Amino acid sequence: MSQVQARFFTENKKYLVDDVPFSIPAASEVADLSGVINKLLEANHDGHKHVEFDFLVRGQFLRTKLANHMETENISTEEVVEIEYVEKFTAPQPEECIMHDDWISSVEADSEWILTGSYDKTARIWSMEGKAVMTVAGHTDVVKDVAWVKRDGLSSLLLTTSLDQTIMLWEWNSERNEVKARHCCRGHAGSVDTVAVDPSRTKFCSGSWDKMLKIWSAVPTVEEDEMEEHNRPRKKQKTEQMGLTRTPLMTISGHNEAVSSVLWMDAEELCSASWDHTIRLWDAETGGQKSTLTGNKVFNCISYSPLCRRLASGSTDRHVRLWDPRSKDGSLVLLSLTSHNGWVTAVRWSPSHEHQLVSGSLDNVVKLWDTRSCKAPLYDLAAHEDKVLCVDWTENGHDLCCYRVSSMI
Amino acid sequence: HSSKRSLTKIYAYGHDQDQRKFWLALILTSVTLQDIRNTVGNIPMEWYKDYPHIGYDLDGKKIFKPIRNKDELDEFLDKMENPDYWRTVQDKMTGADIRLSDEQVDLVHRLQEGKFGDVNFNEYEPAIDFFSNEVMIHPVTNRPQDKRSFIPSLIEKEKVGKLVHAIKMGWIKPRRPKETTPQYYDLWAKEDPNSILGRHKMHVPAPKLKLPGHEESYNPPPEYLMSEEERLAWEQQDPEDRKLSFLPQKFACLRAVPAYSRFIHERFERCLDLYLCPRQRKMRVNVNPEDLIPKLPKPKDLQPFPTTQSLVYRGHSSLVRSISTSPSGQWLVSGSDDCTVRFWEVSTARCLKTVEVGGAVKGVAWNPNPSICLVAISYDDTVVLLNPGLGDRLVSTATDQLISSYEEPEEVKEQPVQWTVAEGEGHEQGHRLILKHPKAVRQVTWHGKGDYLACVMPDNGSSLQVVIHQVSKRRTQNPFRKNKGLVQCVSFHPIRPYFFVATQRYVRVYNLIKQELTKKLMANCKWISSMATHPGGDNVICGSYDCRLAWFDLDLSTKPYKVLRHHKKALRSVAYHRHYPLFASGSDDGSVIVCHGMVYNDLLQNPLIVPVKVLKGHTITHDLGVLDVTFHPTQPWVFSSGADGTVRLFT
Repeated sequence: MSQVQARFFTENKKYLVDDVPFSIPAASEVADLSGVINKLLEANHDGHKHVEFDFLVRGQFLRTKLANHMETENISTEEVVEIEYVEKFTAPQPEECIMHDDWISSVEADSEWILTGSYDKTARIWSMEGKAVMTVAGHTDVVKDVAWVKRDGLSSLLLTTSLDQTIMLWEWNSERNEVKARHCCRGHAGSVDTVAVDPSRTKFCSGSWDKMLKIWSAVPTVEEDEMEEHNRPRKKQKTEQMGLTRTPLMTISGHNEAVSSVLWMDAEELCSASWDHTIRLWDAETGGQKSTLTGNKVFNCISYSPLCRRLASGSTDRHVRLWDPRSKDGSLVLLSLTSHNGWVTAVRWSPSHEHQLVSGSLDNVVKLWDTRSCKAPLYDLAAHEDKVLCVDWTENGHDLCCYRVSSMI
Repeated sequence: HSSKRSLTKIYAYGHDQDQRKFWLALILTSVTLQDIRNTVGNIPMEWYKDYPHIGYDLDGKKIFKPIRNKDELDEFLDKMENPDYWRTVQDKMTGADIRLSDEQVDLVHRLQEGKFGDVNFNEYEPAIDFFSNEVMIHPVTNRPQDKRSFIPSLIEKEKVGKLVHAIKMGWIKPRRPKETTPQYYDLWAKEDPNSILGRHKMHVPAPKLKLPGHEESYNPPPEYLMSEEERLAWEQQDPEDRKLSFLPQKFACLRAVPAYSRFIHERFERCLDLYLCPRQRKMRVNVNPEDLIPKLPKPKDLQPFPTTQSLVYRGHSSLVRSISTSPSGQWLVSGSDDCTVRFWEVSTARCLKTVEVGGAVKGVAWNPNPSICLVAISYDDTVVLLNPGLGDRLVSTATDQLISSYEEPEEVKEQPVQWTVAEGEGHEQGHRLILKHPKAVRQVTWHGKGDYLACVMPDNGSSLQVVIHQVSKRRTQNPFRKNKGLVQCVSFHPIRPYFFVATQRYVRVYNLIKQELTKKLMANCKWISSMATHPGGDNVICGSYDCRLAWFDLDLSTKPYKVLRHHKKALRSVAYHRHYPLFASGSDDGSVIVCHGMVYNDLLQNPLIVPVKVLKGHTITHDLGVLDVTFHPTQPWVFSSGADGTVRLFT
């Protein structure tokens, strides 16, 4: 078999070619097919610039020779093969390198600003150009996680959690560049490792080493919640500096080990991953447990994509696993993405693309995956010199911020 | 006379005493009463007791009893007066008294003496032998032969005719001719000539001495001379393991060869080998070697266990002697020869805290009680209890309060250890209590409840080798009055009040409440280096410097249940996992070996031990590899610290 009948199509109107079957060599690879498409486009449009394409055969990325791929996928060579082509994602070059003077434990980006938490006990706000705008200092220990609550106009609310067992709610005025501690949330008996804000932006949930999940209100109030101030003047002074103390709305217990990651799947449903090898789904209203997904390794991180409704988890082995949270029978791993050499410490679905996710690992590499090609990642980012602890996408989904431990973003 | 003859007969044939008496009585009767013959026969005479007669004579007339009217007195008088009384007998048949004549008395005497009754009878007459072996010319009888002896017998003729007929008919066959060749019976005919007989089977000749080869030469070819490396390796081997018992040497000439110093020794060993060594042939059993291997489950089925190196905790600049994890599993503490103690976050390998102490740290131990946040650190002769301030703030402050709330007892006892409270800069670093010991402390270990702390000060000369501190009361005890060898390490029983003390070759188990020795385990190795107790408490593993790991089942025996020799060099540390059936050993060869060690609740089932993984990662520096291993308290992960200054996490 030397020739295969193939028909090319694409969803991108810019690169449309004639809808006729071509006879192409079976041994051709991605580069050869890309050359064919470029030649066709050059013939159709004047002034076409060379573009690298990637090819999908029945929803799977072509990574080997076409003949081999068809053999492994059990596609008959008799009929005309439908091949979709898309513009190839090229490995992005680091646009900015933000140097931190200590390890970065967490990162969260929105369309304008990047928020990072660091092991030097501070959180920082950076502009997209990589300029340090603000340093948020107040914790007495390492900052473990950060999150934006909301941004309206010039003032925005942000959360930082720390090893000192507190979560702090800050208000940042970007015009005056002032940051003010609004609330100090106390209640955990261990380091608070993760925090997630609910879609309505009024509540947030935190997960801690003390095996608890706690739900807090994210709305800043002026009145003091419950502290009576007159009999403890010294403490009052401290609370003014640290913000008002706040207590949790609800405490959810059920995990047997430390909670490593928490997220909101929608306004009523919470999802948490833990060192006890389980991912649990909770009802945020009642605090009851809805279902449990059991793995066999410690979970480091999870991410949920509302576009494809799947959970991705990174654990203390080399695999990124995809789960279907709607399946009720427990452990249903849809896919396992294997290419890392160390623990997967961070996974994040793309907010705009339903097949793409990014993962970071302790082997210093960040990888971009497409679920249609589960054998190998789309590309690697090996620019980091030390362990990757966290990754995030910017809000428009176009840029990838990968933030790494080693004082560099 | 006739009765005399019959008596002779009696004496000739009736040898029986009773028979003789009977005959005697009969003869006497017949002699004395020849005329009055009583015809009643041989009946008991009592039958005539009530009659006046006593029988009948030959004519049929009654024989009347003689009148007997003698009473005892008359009898007596008669006996006294009558000179013939002794020879008077009563005839039973007639009842008459008879006086025996002199002849009769004589006969009685002779018979009593056992002689013949007849005086003239010669009992020793010469015998004439008629039928002797001498053939006489005359026949004994002179009778002429009968006629029938001259005519053929008809009966015989008939018999012969029958035989002839039978032969003719073939019923009788002529006798086979006798075989003339002699027949011998072969005793060993059935024996296999190739088989070895029992006596020969057991004979094992003494081994012959190997003939001297080129190595023994005074001028060996250069390839037989050992290089420097080979010589070193030869010297390091045990004398029994050496291939050659001497070092080949080269001399310029035979004259330069010195006297062989080991000659006597060698001859002596040969003699010992010849006459002291029992030789016996080992029974070879034809067994498939595959069958001898115990059926062990595959390591794949025994997951989870650590398989790969995941994190490296870098920061120490010298050997890391000891590591310990916090009870929650969030933190790790390591003590190093660079005089620092570092606290690490387990999940990210981040060093969160470094505390400098005044000497190379020999041992660290995190308090196993989750409600107390204390770490014991030993360096030189000091043990420091340090509050790292990690984990729950409440626990940390509660610990500080617990220590500061101590009140001095009224009567202060003399203690072997000096307790001081840390102040100033040390207190800010976290130091809380400082215990000054008289000697260098090698190991510290906590009791499971977290109040008692045992310290080991190895010293062969002194009785103060092990001390047990009670932190809440700031009291120190020396549990042992006597010194029983160099103490290597100690360990508390996780549940019961037992205390394990490992000396060079033995592990002694003491009952702390009864204050007595409960058991003495023999490790069968040369020098124990480390020991760990199973969380169930019934099993102990010991690592030794001669590459062995011995597993003791305390219920089974005082000898090791199993000895594992997987490491190539000395073992430095052993550890059990608190929940998973795992144990690990770290060695100077730079590897950590993880084994599955399942202990069953069923007392009849012995523990299952399967080596599952060799973990490598540490580089060997100064001939030292892994110095300490410890398990994560909740996950199947193992930490190892090495001489290369790193701590590694295998998951």
